[in-house]
Amino acid sequence: MAKEMMLSGCAAAAQAAKLAQVEVICSYPIRPYTAIMMELAKMVANGELDAEFVHGEGEHAQLSVVLGAAAAGARALTGSSGVGVTYAFETYSPIAGGRIPLQMMIADRALDPPGDFGSEHTDAMSCRDQGWIMGWAENPQEAFDNCLINYRVGEDHRVLLPQFVCQDGYFVSHIPGKVVIPDQSQVDEFLPPYALPHPLDPKHPVSHGPQIRPDQGTVMNLQRAQAMLDTPAVIKEVIDDYNRIFGRNLSPFVEEYMTDDAEIAFFIMGAHTMTARHAVKHLRSQGVKIGLVKLRFVRPWPTQEVAEVLSKFKAVGVVETSTSYGGAARGGNLLHEVRASLYELPQRPLTTSFMAGLGGEMVPLKDFYYMADILSKAVKDGKTKKTVYWVGFEAED
Amino acid sequence: MTVAVRTQNLPPIKLIRNVPKEEYYVPGHRTCAGCGPALQYKLVAKAAGPNTIFVGPTGCMYVANASYLCTPYAVPWMHSQITNGGAVASGIEAAYRVLLRKGKREGELPNIIVMAGDGGSTDIGLQAMSAMMYRGHDALFICYDNESYANTGIQTSPTTPYGSNTTFTPPGSAIPEGKKLFPKDPPQLVIGGHPAVKYVATASVAYPVDLINKVRKALNVQGPTFMHIHAPCPKGWKFDAAKTVEIARLAIETGMWNMYEWENGEYKYQFRPKRYKPVREYVKLQGRFAHLSEAHIAKLQAFVDAKLKAPGIPVEVPAPPPRAQA
Repeated sequence: MAKEMMLSGCAAAAQAAKLAQVEVICSYPIRPYTAIMMELAKMVANGELDAEFVHGEGEHAQLSVVLGAAAAGARALTGSSGVGVTYAFETYSPIAGGRIPLQMMIADRALDPPGDFGSEHTDAMSCRDQGWIMGWAENPQEAFDNCLINYRVGEDHRVLLPQFVCQDGYFVSHIPGKVVIPDQSQVDEFLPPYALPHPLDPKHPVSHGPQIRPDQGTVMNLQRAQAMLDTPAVIKEVIDDYNRIFGRNLSPFVEEYMTDDAEIAFFIMGAHTMTARHAVKHLRSQGVKIGLVKLRFVRPWPTQEVAEVLSKFKAVGVVETSTSYGGAARGGNLLHEVRASLYELPQRPLTTSFMAGLGGEMVPLKDFYYMADILSKAVKDGKTKKTVYWVGFEAED
Repeated sequence: MTVAVRTQNLPPIKLIRNVPKEEYYVPGHRTCAGCGPALQYKLVAKAAGPNTIFVGPTGCMYVANASYLCTPYAVPWMHSQITNGGAVASGIEAAYRVLLRKGKREGELPNIIVMAGDGGSTDIGLQAMSAMMYRGHDALFICYDNESYANTGIQTSPTTPYGSNTTFTPPGSAIPEGKKLFPKDPPQLVIGGHPAVKYVATASVAYPVDLINKVRKALNVQGPTFMHIHAPCPKGWKFDAAKTVEIARLAIETGMWNMYEWENGEYKYQFRPKRYKPVREYVKLQGRFAHLSEAHIAKLQAFVDAKLKAPGIPVEVPAPPPRAQA
């Protein structure tokens, strides 16, 4: 029988990994994701989970160990946070380019300098263009869901891509929430055993990763790009199955809240969605026509879905919890993707970005009211004054 | 439940004619004429046989072997970054342990061999190599030593000998000897701090039977093992491509390279000449040492003499000069 538990995001992710029956786990300590590994270490020590638990000598090694394991034919899991995520950067392209569908759980942490324990999406977002599937959980339940969903999507032979399964540090990783833990039989129905097409096996010799000529490079890039292009259709199928088997109601790419007749909207992902939802509810009670759109996958970016849903509004505020210093829109990276998605539309909403929650700061309700106010003014004026607002640090407005 | 062990007992061979005829590193690659690393690769693959997985960190034995989507391996092979051969091998071994335990693979744990260059073993790959040894993964880590970053155009590595002319240590009026530093000692790095390791050996392309037997011994051991294989590089060391084996033999005869096994704390030495030839005889055949003065050669000789008092034991070398003089 499925059971309900109060779990932190890290504990929820570990429960999902256990039900996915991961076979090789590689750890290295860095806060806050460490709690996932501490949970898994206990499960392995207690005999609840039959897996090899390897103590990596750093994040680069973590990714390298799980690469070897997944290439040999085992379902593999690792994870990290902050500068740990960027320390492993060399390995991301070889893993995705080798089409090895392992999973890396990230509990976000701000990058140095200075040392900051707070959550910020910049760690994972800096790695978004390597050919990994990537998305954020809003709460521990989604941290659980996304582990299983991502394994199933990534391991599908039409996809074969690794997955960054992200949750905000502390806000999700360390605050308990209600999580429904399904039966093993349900998970087994949803997630078939790991089956790499060409694992390293002396009975069937294969070579992984020989060098290529420059003219072969484009072909391989194109294949990786095509796999990403083919992924949305698989995500839809997988979410349908997930909803059916586990009795859930998840949207594949974007989740809407109070968007009917909304004129302005927040576009957001991850933990702060929860606060934003409360802000929207309150503003609605005050008569503000506001809604919210939550993004579930950054890669593959759901261009069409984003364009369709955002075209309904007059102004959209993109809430960024990551930086893109010197970028085209002077804000974070999400605004770039949002604007690119909207470009082909005959009538585009006004867009601006709100830098909020950087360094792991809270984004309280009043900050969302401030953002809503700027969006309402933009609608009234028919234009946005700026492409980026550093919330809490703006002299005017 | 299958426990992931290798019960294999790969037998030693006596004579060169007993070398297995089967090739697992097959012709068709594009290594240079007289390539020492390619020669040792062929012998290692023969010694290990078909139940083997190679991990190939970036280096000559990646770039010159695995070209244009083709590879010369008749057994599974996987590229790793130059940084992480030991870690990728650790993952493969861990996967086999759990897959065998769960009945998802049949048979025995395959021979897992990392074939890393000196940079991929002792420089940028040192951390991953050391961690594989520390954790006790059942794999053989081979450092094929051509004493430079050869694939990138002969740059100095931690095992490049004192006095070498490399493209990063060119001799000039301010630095007449080229490379000023004395090399790292790879087997000692392993022996010195990795209690899980039970077998370490050095070998040379000059003595193929000895090389094959050491590889087999290493693969018969349960747990991590390390081999340091001398593999002369005609291009990088600037000698006639027909003389690879001669140069390798001279390295041993002059004491520039020492042949030994370290097994459970005991040293056994092989091919120790009664009287060592002067290093000058080794040096004079190689263009990389052509610029050395008598004083430089004497310094190299002194280093070798000190080393030969107890091969395998680290020797004191002159401290690097202060930065102002370097």
